[in-house]
Amino acid sequence: MKRPAGRWETTTGQVTGIALLFVSAGMLGSAVIESIGGDQGLAMTLAALVTLVPGAALWLSTRPGQIDRAAVFSAVAGTWLIVSVFGALPYLFAGTFNRSGIGFPVVLADALFESVSGFSCTGSTVFGSHNLIADQGPGILMYRQFTQWIGGMGIVVLVVTVLPALRASGLGLIGAEAPGEGGDRLAPRMAQTARRFWYLYAGLTGLIAVALIAVGMSLFDAVAHAFTTASTGGFSTRDASIGYWDSVAVEMVIMIGLILGAANFTLHSRSLVARRPVHHHDPEFRGYIWLLTGATLVVTILLVDDGMGFTRSLRSAAFNVVTLGTSGGFGNATGPGSDGDFVRWAAGPQLILLILLMTGGCTGSTSGGVKVMRLIIGISHARRTLRGIRHPRAVLPVRHGTGVMAEPMVERIAGFMVVYGMLVVSGTLVVAALGTDLVTAMGGVVGSLGNMGPALNRAGPTASFVDGFSTPARMVLAFLMLVGRLELFPMLLMLVAPYRTLHDRVRSR
Amino acid sequence: MVGALAVCSGLIDLIEHGADSSTLLITGSGMGLLGALLFGRVAGPDKARPVDIIAATTLAMTLGILLVAGLYVMTGAAQRPDDALFEATTGITTTAMSVIDPTGLGYGLRFLRSGSQWLGGFAALLVGIVILPFFGFGREFADRSSSGGFRPLAPDEMSATRNILRLYIPGTGLIWGGYMLAGMSAFDGLLLAMSTVSTGGFTNGANEFADPSVQWVAIVGMLLAGSSMVTLWHLVVGRGGLHRQTGLAMYLGLHVTGVLLLVLLSTGIDLAAARRLLFVVAASVSTTGFPMGVPVGWPAGAPVLLLLLVSIGAMSGSAGGGLQIRQHRALMKLALREMARQLHPRAVLKVRLAGRVAGEDTLRQIVVLQFLFVAVIFSTAFLVAVFGLDLASAISAAVHATATAGPVRGLDGVMVDPTEWSRSVRLALLPAMVFGRLSIYPAVVAVAALLNLLRDKARVRRRYRAHRHGGSL
Repeated sequence: MKRPAGRWETTTGQVTGIALLFVSAGMLGSAVIESIGGDQGLAMTLAALVTLVPGAALWLSTRPGQIDRAAVFSAVAGTWLIVSVFGALPYLFAGTFNRSGIGFPVVLADALFESVSGFSCTGSTVFGSHNLIADQGPGILMYRQFTQWIGGMGIVVLVVTVLPALRASGLGLIGAEAPGEGGDRLAPRMAQTARRFWYLYAGLTGLIAVALIAVGMSLFDAVAHAFTTASTGGFSTRDASIGYWDSVAVEMVIMIGLILGAANFTLHSRSLVARRPVHHHDPEFRGYIWLLTGATLVVTILLVDDGMGFTRSLRSAAFNVVTLGTSGGFGNATGPGSDGDFVRWAAGPQLILLILLMTGGCTGSTSGGVKVMRLIIGISHARRTLRGIRHPRAVLPVRHGTGVMAEPMVERIAGFMVVYGMLVVSGTLVVAALGTDLVTAMGGVVGSLGNMGPALNRAGPTASFVDGFSTPARMVLAFLMLVGRLELFPMLLMLVAPYRTLHDRVRSR
Repeated sequence: MVGALAVCSGLIDLIEHGADSSTLLITGSGMGLLGALLFGRVAGPDKARPVDIIAATTLAMTLGILLVAGLYVMTGAAQRPDDALFEATTGITTTAMSVIDPTGLGYGLRFLRSGSQWLGGFAALLVGIVILPFFGFGREFADRSSSGGFRPLAPDEMSATRNILRLYIPGTGLIWGGYMLAGMSAFDGLLLAMSTVSTGGFTNGANEFADPSVQWVAIVGMLLAGSSMVTLWHLVVGRGGLHRQTGLAMYLGLHVTGVLLLVLLSTGIDLAAARRLLFVVAASVSTTGFPMGVPVGWPAGAPVLLLLLVSIGAMSGSAGGGLQIRQHRALMKLALREMARQLHPRAVLKVRLAGRVAGEDTLRQIVVLQFLFVAVIFSTAFLVAVFGLDLASAISAAVHATATAGPVRGLDGVMVDPTEWSRSVRLALLPAMVFGRLSIYPAVVAVAALLNLLRDKARVRRRYRAHRHGGSL
């Protein structure tokens, strides 16, 4: 198709414009639901229109330009930032976070936090006892769930499905957004690959919704929770999250859904093609299942040792290990101090949960965190280095499964882990300096960077982030959520871009 | 060396008419004789493998800990063997989480306690300047070049050891003199000087740092003890160029930034409080861990800042612990290189440290060192959490033990007494102290060597049994 002349050549503008159109469509859908069952339908429609206008303007006035690596990072990071800002509009227009004694800056910050937490699939929330989820209309609640669903597979991946003009550059865009080490091709064309990912994702969401209805959830709750289970997001339509149902069957469906959502979608695709599961052939998936099983066993033993009965311990341990190990972030606590309220557990199990907050799921999934593959390769790299001290002249490759990893890939993973560690440490320091205690700060930073959801101590599964963190600290966490969702580099490079431009100008003079 | 220390302690106890002199003298002489016999009679291999030397370092430190623990048990300084083991480990590893009340000890035992830290500090210097660069990694950073006609610190292993002693002993004397000038008695000053120069942190009374002039001497002593021996050597031989040493700048910058942040976060800070904050920061960065009360209005972010300073630690090539500054600089440069590589994947980007290009092998080992450091902290924190500490205390205790940084400070700023912890918690901290004092690698290599040895023995035994039962090999 020939493009009309006179359009600005900017990939960032084009991708952002289309992304805003998708988001406004989601807002409109939610506005319809709100009009039926709530009283903020008009406000949400207004938010959809305010998002639609700049989206359409950008789409119509721009065209994809030359794509180099810098453009890829700026397109992805810029899109996520702008979508997160516009995504806060329904909360602002509906007055969701207005409460007495709170000024507009805090309301704005809360709306931004909820929006970023939604799109980045983190699941941390500023709703709480001061502002109950139960008091919100169905449209707002469904919109919250929708932000996680659209963010789970990736906004840019969604854009690539309808933007064939990007051709091979689409792989770079998907790679910059997708969790893990670059994007896998499922089809010869990138738009087809992106579409196939979305079909799989939508199929998984549908399956989870049907299963949740089968175990007793209402249609509204089932669809809402299917959105946030497939995306490993963790938002719920209830204040007590999954603990509201207090049902083992519901918890089982959520756990299976989360495990599938946090597994590599390429494996799901291959399984569909082969008409049998191929997941067990993948070393990362095997490691991931071992990790979840081992952590569940250890936490169960420690909880039993702490006086909780075996069945209750196993149920609480399994659900919380899976929900945090997959970066889901749901809670099964029925109230503060109940079995699932892990901040009341002994320190040992909490430390295991903290480690799981960092680990995350598999590459190519909707989950966050460091990812199991990076962890396996990191351990293999450490073993190789230690063996190198014993055998200085030996040529020792880093293995992953039966394959040998290329050295540049190993170096990239090592570099990623170094940057990740530095962000955790510096983030914890900044959040603590803004008035948070050590454990809450560390839990919040690790949870935000890994897009996990609840933190530890004062921001646990039954608490709000308003209770645990000051407003500036919540803004730092929101930034870390975006950094973590985009696998660190796009957002960080966007930060250093002005410095680089200035530096280049000074040098050229 | 432990035998010599015990004999010295015994002699001091004898002069002061203490009750432990005979035990210390006899046991120390026995240890010394046995050591001399082994040294004289047992011939080393013609060519020792680096891994053997690294593993032997760990073995020597472990043996030193056991011998000092034995002395504590025999003299009755510690009532239980596990208390003796904990005290000896915190001494030799310069961690200083003491469980013995020093005011109840005689002169000889107090000298033994501080002397064990002095020996531990010397061992840390040997590991950082001789063992690791010559037999492990980071050879490019050993000060071996005699360019410009200046004597390097470490032209070879033996000269490096001699040069370290040339700095370490006068350094102890200098700080001792400082403490005496500040009004301390000769004996107390000597003990505190040994604990300062080794970044050990043992004290011999509750109010040793009440006097501001003693505080100033301790601050200067801790700053020197946490500085790189290479930097100090360049200063001594007149090589100059200190202003170009980015490691030193970062080390001093950490102190300044730490104090400024604490002052900004705290409320009601006067000059005396600022001095106490400088003391706390110096004790954290150098990982000495001397106790000091904090001003009223201790902020929530302060414990996190101090934990960060402790884990960063002192300069590489010093007696201080932590991951150390050179490693952090390398990691920061690696992070920047990784960001640059995202934009230019095929660019050849080298990492320069201290004016030298760091080898890719060295960088790889530093990354793995960070990985192991975090792994040791988390596994130790998990163990002590299982044994009953709350999460914040578990993380804090694990970081302090791995960084060999002394007593743990609670979230409210008050020093935590290790005797309040259960025995299992204290025992769980011991491996982290040893791993941290040996800069992780030697201890890991020694454990791996031990496991390999056991596996080989088991394999030989299995084959032998199979052979005896008529099976073919």
